[in-house]
Amino acid sequence: MTVPVTSARAVRGGTGKPLLSIRDFKVEYRTGSGTTVQAVRGVDLDLYPGESLALVGESGCGKTTFGLGLLRLLPRLGHASGQVTFNRGDGTEIDVLGLDGRDLRQFRWRDAAMVFQGAMNAFNPVLKIRGHMHDTMRAHTKATKQEIEERAAELLRLVRLEPERVMDSYPHELSGGMRQRVLIAMSLLLEPEVLILDEPTTALDILTQRSVVDVLHEVRERLGFSMIFISHDLSLAAELADRVATMYAGRIIETGGVRDMFYKPRHPYTLGLIKAVPPIVGDLPDLESIPGGPPSLAALPTGCSFHPRCKFATDECQEVDPPLIPITDEPGDAHDVACIHSDQVHLERRTAS
Amino acid sequence: MSGAVDTPAQQLIEGPVDEPKPSAARRFLSAWLVRRLAKAILTIFLVSTLTFFLVRLLPGNPVDTYIQTQIAQTGISYDDAAAQAKNLFSLDPDEPLILQYLTYMGNLVQGDFGTSLLSPGTTVAQVIQTYLPWTLFSVGIAQILSFVLGIIAGMIMAYRRESWIDHLLTSIGSLLHAIPNYIVAILIVVFLGVKLQVFNLTEARGSYTPGVEPAFSLSFLNDILYHATLPILAYLLTTVGSWALVMKSSTVETLGEDYVTVARARGLTDSRIRTGYVGRNAVLPLFSQLAVSLGFVVGGSIFVEKIFGYQGIGFSLYNAVSGRDYPVLQGIFLVVTISVVVANLLADVLYSRLDPRIRVGGKAKG
Repeated sequence: MTVPVTSARAVRGGTGKPLLSIRDFKVEYRTGSGTTVQAVRGVDLDLYPGESLALVGESGCGKTTFGLGLLRLLPRLGHASGQVTFNRGDGTEIDVLGLDGRDLRQFRWRDAAMVFQGAMNAFNPVLKIRGHMHDTMRAHTKATKQEIEERAAELLRLVRLEPERVMDSYPHELSGGMRQRVLIAMSLLLEPEVLILDEPTTALDILTQRSVVDVLHEVRERLGFSMIFISHDLSLAAELADRVATMYAGRIIETGGVRDMFYKPRHPYTLGLIKAVPPIVGDLPDLESIPGGPPSLAALPTGCSFHPRCKFATDECQEVDPPLIPITDEPGDAHDVACIHSDQVHLERRTAS
Repeated sequence: MSGAVDTPAQQLIEGPVDEPKPSAARRFLSAWLVRRLAKAILTIFLVSTLTFFLVRLLPGNPVDTYIQTQIAQTGISYDDAAAQAKNLFSLDPDEPLILQYLTYMGNLVQGDFGTSLLSPGTTVAQVIQTYLPWTLFSVGIAQILSFVLGIIAGMIMAYRRESWIDHLLTSIGSLLHAIPNYIVAILIVVFLGVKLQVFNLTEARGSYTPGVEPAFSLSFLNDILYHATLPILAYLLTTVGSWALVMKSSTVETLGEDYVTVARARGLTDSRIRTGYVGRNAVLPLFSQLAVSLGFVVGGSIFVEKIFGYQGIGFSLYNAVSGRDYPVLQGIFLVVTISVVVANLLADVLYSRLDPRIRVGGKAKG
């Protein structure tokens, strides 16, 4: 089977009406001692139809919380605030954070589905894959058994699995990569307009990762949904995304088109992330790591939360937490960065040609 | 990045992981069953041997006990009582123990449990047949009710944890869990029977009202339920608390599972998630416990039946112990053993039916 590698890489930031419009999105967790911890600290983001956005950052920067918050799946002690507007294809506007009961249930999976990090445990162990497919479809549609079977089989074939065998399997009878692909197939059952993928390949070995990425390319090519791709793996982000947003300590600190971000990063943190990954082509440069670890969300540094780890940091950085402001590299491309020293940040590594 | 690893990627088009072929699985299962059955038979053999010797190690013997009872009750002389006893009992205390044992085991293998010493002419099998059904009936109903109520309460507690209802039910559950059933039985007698007079204890004694014809009729069912109410209440109160607590912790654990979050993300209805995803998985570990506790049904009823005068197997066991009626004692202990062993066997089979992860291979459980 050949894998189509053509993927619309056009940076669409800023054109048309966004599918998902996120303003000042915050997530707080109440802790046992009665205090609150902000895991997501005011995220503004637009996702346009057909666009694929990668959200990258270290573990613990709030990526997963962000994804869960969008689907209103936070644990009991979590609370999301801000404004999340979903513009359904039929023109209706949905206030996601205001949804409840049946509307919320219907929003989930039909409008926005999520492929989870722990696909190992994403399935009810006592239910066959068939049962999962039927449960999902029946929760949203009045489809007949026959229709569900056909739809599920079609999608399983799309992710390159044999429906006849997989449908009758229990989750524990499938390998990790297969489960991940079943989950992708299941996430597409109701043709959602947005698919959130939270580290969809992290727990898999490199070859299985490869096949999952190929499958993602392929299904997106065919079905054309928008995607928010949460990952700490920059190479995957580079491959799957049109636009990249870097997240640090619960905020987005840089966002731009995929080429811009990887060749001309303007935030020291993004730069550090890129320098920490060896390139596939060309000589191996000295890899650099970012000193220190991600800050505790309960005790963030003053000013820019990255300044203790930043080699560009000046005294000013300890006082000002810079907002995300547009910097124009090329006309038509949106590239925003939250750093007062962004003009000093340049990737000097020889770029692969 | 893509070009270099294309070839291996294509090899990854796959079906499910190869499972053992059905025939192999079946062979394994039957070997497993045979092993389990052999173990069960060995257990029963060991326990019946042990009980044989243990009941004879009890202080006193049936003859002495009878003589003393006769003296105390009728005031006749020791010699007269001894003579009566000699006529009554077929037992020869001077026969070597090992011979008695061999005879007993020989008979047992042929399904002969022996004859009661205290009521000559009544076989042990008859005793068990007369009393066991009442115990199975009352304790069975109580266990099932208690399991169902406990599971419902446990799920409510887990879903509303840290709320007042959780705190209330947890306190009640721990309290009930801590009180033995005979104490509860006595409390019922004292409060419901004597102080508040809600229940006529004298009328409720026995398994059914004398004179009522045992038949499959509504009035008979009504009558036996009436007589079983207090024992059932006592069993229920003392077991429901622990079921609720166990179910609560199991449910809390299940609620934290990824697949529950994913089920919510999939937009499933709350009721579907509650039953098919949370409840179904949370109840799994409780099933084996249920089967085991059903096995102890027979043994756990002695004091409750004695206190309420309910004529079940516990009641007759009590009488057999007081009169040192060896064959009846052995017979009842054997029934208790068999029911525990069979219940365990059932639990394993049931568990493997309910949990597909254990079904294939069957070795996940040690």
